[in-house]
Amino acid sequence: MSITKESANQHKNDPAIVCCRTTKGTVISPSDLEDPAILPDLEESGLVTIPENVLKIGQVIGAKLLKDIDGLTPITADLLEGIIEEKKEKSNVENGGNKVEKVSGNKEATFSGGFVRLSVDQMNGVNLEFPVEVLNSGLIKASSQAPAGKVEKIEDETVNTLKRREFAVKKVELGKETSFKNGVLVIREALCKEALKADPLTKKIEMDIITPDNRHQYSNTIMDVIPIAAKVEGGLGNGITNIMNDVVFILTGLDENGLQVHEFGSCEGYLDEKISYGKPGCPDQKDIMVRVHVTIAANTGMERRGPYAAHKACDVIIQEIREVLKKASASEAVKEEVCNEVVRHGRPRVVLVKEIMGQGAMHDNVMLPTEPAGVLGGRQNVDLGNVPVVLSANEVRDGGIHALTCIGPASKEDTRHYFREPLLEAMANDEEINLVGVVFIGSPQVNDEKTFVAKRLGTLAGTMNIEGAIVTTEGFGNNHIDFALNIEEIGKRGINVVGVTYAAYQGQLVVGNQYMDAMIEVNKDAGGFESEILGENTICPEDADRAVLMLKTKMAGIPIEAADRKWDNAVIQANQKLVK
Amino acid sequence: MSKLYKILLKQHIGAVNKPVISVGDFVRKGTLIAEPSGLGANIHSSIDGRVKEIDKDAIFIEADKVQREGFQSLDNTGSIIDTIKAAGIVGMGGAGFPTHVKLNVHLNGGVVIANAVECEPLLVHNMKQIIEAPELIYKGLCYAMEASNAKRGVFAIKAKNKEAIAALQKVIKKDNIQIAELPDMYPMGEERAIIREVLGQLLAPDQLPSAADAVVLNVETLSRITEAIEQKRPVISKNITIVGKLKSGIESKAFMDVPIGTTVRELIEAAGGIDGEYGEIIMGGPFTGVSVDIDQAITKTSGGIIVTMPFMKEKRRMGLLVCACGANEQRLREIAAKMGASIAGVEKCKQAVEIKGSLKCEDPGNCPGQAEKVLKLKKDGAEVLLISNCSDCTNTVMCVAPKLKMPIYHCTDHAMRTVNHSLIRRLK
Repeated sequence: MSITKESANQHKNDPAIVCCRTTKGTVISPSDLEDPAILPDLEESGLVTIPENVLKIGQVIGAKLLKDIDGLTPITADLLEGIIEEKKEKSNVENGGNKVEKVSGNKEATFSGGFVRLSVDQMNGVNLEFPVEVLNSGLIKASSQAPAGKVEKIEDETVNTLKRREFAVKKVELGKETSFKNGVLVIREALCKEALKADPLTKKIEMDIITPDNRHQYSNTIMDVIPIAAKVEGGLGNGITNIMNDVVFILTGLDENGLQVHEFGSCEGYLDEKISYGKPGCPDQKDIMVRVHVTIAANTGMERRGPYAAHKACDVIIQEIREVLKKASASEAVKEEVCNEVVRHGRPRVVLVKEIMGQGAMHDNVMLPTEPAGVLGGRQNVDLGNVPVVLSANEVRDGGIHALTCIGPASKEDTRHYFREPLLEAMANDEEINLVGVVFIGSPQVNDEKTFVAKRLGTLAGTMNIEGAIVTTEGFGNNHIDFALNIEEIGKRGINVVGVTYAAYQGQLVVGNQYMDAMIEVNKDAGGFESEILGENTICPEDADRAVLMLKTKMAGIPIEAADRKWDNAVIQANQKLVK
Repeated sequence: MSKLYKILLKQHIGAVNKPVISVGDFVRKGTLIAEPSGLGANIHSSIDGRVKEIDKDAIFIEADKVQREGFQSLDNTGSIIDTIKAAGIVGMGGAGFPTHVKLNVHLNGGVVIANAVECEPLLVHNMKQIIEAPELIYKGLCYAMEASNAKRGVFAIKAKNKEAIAALQKVIKKDNIQIAELPDMYPMGEERAIIREVLGQLLAPDQLPSAADAVVLNVETLSRITEAIEQKRPVISKNITIVGKLKSGIESKAFMDVPIGTTVRELIEAAGGIDGEYGEIIMGGPFTGVSVDIDQAITKTSGGIIVTMPFMKEKRRMGLLVCACGANEQRLREIAAKMGASIAGVEKCKQAVEIKGSLKCEDPGNCPGQAEKVLKLKKDGAEVLLISNCSDCTNTVMCVAPKLKMPIYHCTDHAMRTVNHSLIRRLK
């Protein structure tokens, strides 16, 4: 494809190859040249072999061609008249000369009148570019309109608190009555029968306890990992919540025909092998697992109602535990943590956008249940039309999302993941940004609906007065269409966006746009595959740190280097090193 | 039974004409039978006869057995423009834009370009007319220059047409009329390509030649201007090339002054008839022509009639590369269907932009590169390509697709193969 003058300038150091037949005497212009962006494709498909002595675009523009050449011919010096010989530039990378050493915002000053300080040992050929807005909204305005009171003072304001009391669980057993005493949780065995009443589609419920030393046990695919937490005071997102440590529910399911529920990529297998222990959405190494296995009506596993029935039944069991947990004495808590929701005045407002599955079938999520990570009282995002819904940071931390997600086990974000979302914590705890909320947006089935919800998200973002957004998604393929649309709708409003997803090898992005220039890869599998190990490719704290740094970098106007054409874990590792 | 002529009420760009005669009326050759109801041009009877039927699309005239000499000449003539308007002249290169509207400009000393490029392969009627009656065309150019206040006139013609160039040189008597020789590339005859080649100015796809103080008129259109002014003759006939799978041989044959309303069938029979099995009948040139029914009537914008050989069969999945200069997507899909191929994907040349519902090339005949499009089609699962690109773009596709082991068909292939013409592929 012929290129524009701007593109030629941007790619002046890339190889010059004519896009089409070019005749003798032609003075080479950008319209004669192939777009360097597709050169790797051309090389890979064997269309072009680029010789070592190929000239750069900057060298050939304006030079006269000495003979007729056919399309896709690399331009070499012998083809041109009056070519300037390339001068080898001395590289001084070793002594750090070309590297920007430090970019720091001055926290003491107000943000809008702040400074960006570059300290560089040596510089040459540096081309500094600032978006005009930086000057307008920042320095110039601040000095000329300083008395207008537009400058916000740097100040932290706590607007809401949530107290989390954690209780240690040493042992879990099944028994005649549900109780929690001295760190021993007893679950009433008869609940398995009673929970069947939760939904007529549930046909059979089995429950067993799996201790950390006894994990080499076969399991059906894991539908969800659910923490045990109960409201003691206040509603979801405020007041006091009691949480049981060292124990977690795992939900598995089959239909009456023996078909796995939630099996779009299955982690069926031995529990010690098929779980990435310690991930935010997984059991931790020392956790006791209470496994609830639900059999649902035949052929309902791929519909919304079947898996939902299983989750409801499991919630009935957990609810009885919540009732005893509510009564636990505060003095027995091993830890009490206060989660403050802080408005960080004077710092850039940012939002976390989490794309959740909403294609119907078994892809759904329950939002804002009555009890933390519960089902009862919540709204399903499919019923809400997948439109963006804003939750406060504390509402998310307090189990505001109960996941009915089924996509590939390695990248799915289950209920426990939302309960301890590392990206939320990274953004909320970073004192240089002001997290205003978390937007949950569904990924609908139909493309028209995808566009509809993405546009609503864009409009919402536009009203939030934000400077930055991090957009995450789980799974790959279909949901990446939403991912691209969501980023575009936010990005085109001039808001800096960072995307976070698993893509790697198997999940390569199927679509893209100009706003997807700052992406965080969360793959952990060596080959870049959906490994079918639960939680392996989900967002963990290191990914979150990279994402936050990437967002801050982008908001500071520092260019982000384009990604390589092919996924390479080395890039992730190199970026990780940049995060302190 | 006497012959029935179907004269279409829309033979031009603009609205459908309103009939001004009634069923049962007797008309002469040259009688005004329909007037424009908006943008358009007068339509006259092309034969002596009786109006048999009028429907929303056409007037049907039953021809008298004995056709008299001469024709009913134009009245109401005045200025050159008025005469052109009365004669119902439209762009006869195929576009059909009313000439009196086109010439109703003040060119500020600009230029009228006679389009003698005849750039569609296989067509010969323009060259034949230039060789046999150059005077008629030359005078038409002079009238057009007078009407539009042009200071210059240019014949744009391919350098390869030496005989035609010589014929024109003989009749040119003024210093301000020159001949511009163009390379043998498709689409040199495209209005904006001609202006670029002759005047060195590349117009935007939505700009008219008047933006370059120029008017471009086909040579046959120019000859009709002379006929209207000097003979008071309205447009009642058309020059046509017939070529293809014909019993009389595969050479192109030009039929001059074919009465409008004559059917394709009659012309093919006059040319010797179809030789055995055939694929389709194309009205127009190989690049931009469309398939027509054999009973289709000739209009003021008809140019070529091509009887093609049966289609080659292709079972592999086909990628379509649509170009503004050749067959459009609908036509490529038709050809693909006739070949029996399923379609894997459709891509449009980067330079093709949509203007008023049809594609126009931003820089006709200068390729913007096609590698990306071909790779995309391959990625979409195409095993073979069907393209409608111009000469230069086709050459680029030829630099790409064969290396990807993708065979190429061009939309002109079945027409070109029929007459053993070299295919549109690599430029030599």
